[in-house]
Amino acid sequence: MAEVFVFGQLLSVEAFPKQSLFCKWKLHFGTNWKVLEGLTTGQTQVDEPQAQETTYWCHPIDLHFVTKGIQGWPKLELQVWHQDSFGRCNICSYGFIHMPSQGGYHKITCHTWRPIGSLSDQISQFFTEDSLKLMNEEIITNENRSRLQTQAMGSVNLELYVVFKNFEIYGIET
Amino acid sequence: MSEQVVSGSVFCVSASGQIESAQFMGFDNIYCKYCYKYGNDWSVASGLEDGVSQITRISDDNQLFVWNFPLDIAFKSSNPFGWPQLVLSVYGFDFFGNDVVRGYGSVHIPPVPGTHRKRVPMFAPQSSSLVHRWTSWFSGRKPEFIDPKVVAQSEGREVIRVSSNGYVTVVFNVVLKDFHKYGFTVQ
Repeated sequence: MAEVFVFGQLLSVEAFPKQSLFCKWKLHFGTNWKVLEGLTTGQTQVDEPQAQETTYWCHPIDLHFVTKGIQGWPKLELQVWHQDSFGRCNICSYGFIHMPSQGGYHKITCHTWRPIGSLSDQISQFFTEDSLKLMNEEIITNENRSRLQTQAMGSVNLELYVVFKNFEIYGIET
Repeated sequence: MSEQVVSGSVFCVSASGQIESAQFMGFDNIYCKYCYKYGNDWSVASGLEDGVSQITRISDDNQLFVWNFPLDIAFKSSNPFGWPQLVLSVYGFDFFGNDVVRGYGSVHIPPVPGTHRKRVPMFAPQSSSLVHRWTSWFSGRKPEFIDPKVVAQSEGREVIRVSSNGYVTVVFNVVLKDFHKYGFTVQ
């Protein structure tokens, strides 16, 4: 069967109004795919940068997939959270990327967003600086998001390497 | 060097290069330790698995620390999972002369043949309380990882709080052998 190896790092996040951020990540993939080795979910460290604006996580990702078909290509869901000085955690923004479908090195930027609610929500958001939390987290990686209003937040950087095995034998061109 | 029996479709990854330089804010006289973290299907075919560099002082224009420290290692494996990562630990000296950790970082050895220049961000663990922060400044015992290889793994990172500061520049020259022969494609 065809195999895909993805490894690299959930590197950093930038252009966020806050510091002391961490990321919860989760993998989604179709029924054709199976993870043989590697973790499909995780949480990065909390970084409070000293000298620069960019927050660095450098969180390693290492996955070994085996697949029977191209449909349901794996997606990585990202949730950026903020931890304040008291240790409380609040969601900041959401985002997702598809795993690259070409072999080699990929420097990926995932632009994230947060949901906005009604005017009263926005006023309380101004004072507490907490983002609203999605009730249904499926919509981060699914297509049906009508009626949802969002606002752009910062962007998450990833560096991934993709290695394919036996793709040529099965006639898959990437 | 460990010699594991690896049979079947074994490919080789050879990485030579150097830990070139570093940029840090706020301190001087630092040295770097390196080691590799790799999966269970990997073994070191030749080369040094770890090392300690010289102690370097900042350049005259206060911009760069230079180590120019050689790296040379070759791995054997049958499985790209657990691809080796270079783990760096940078240490310095505080005002009282104690060894303190300045930062940890890790980077994957690129699986693409050729020359690669990687800028590795460094971060140091933070004290968990204000009292500990003050006492560690006096005693020179800043929080550090028992095993630096924890920065190259995904498990257990959620309990770590760090402060990032600085970069280390590493150059890799990567050569692969029999990678394409056993059905792997990377380009």
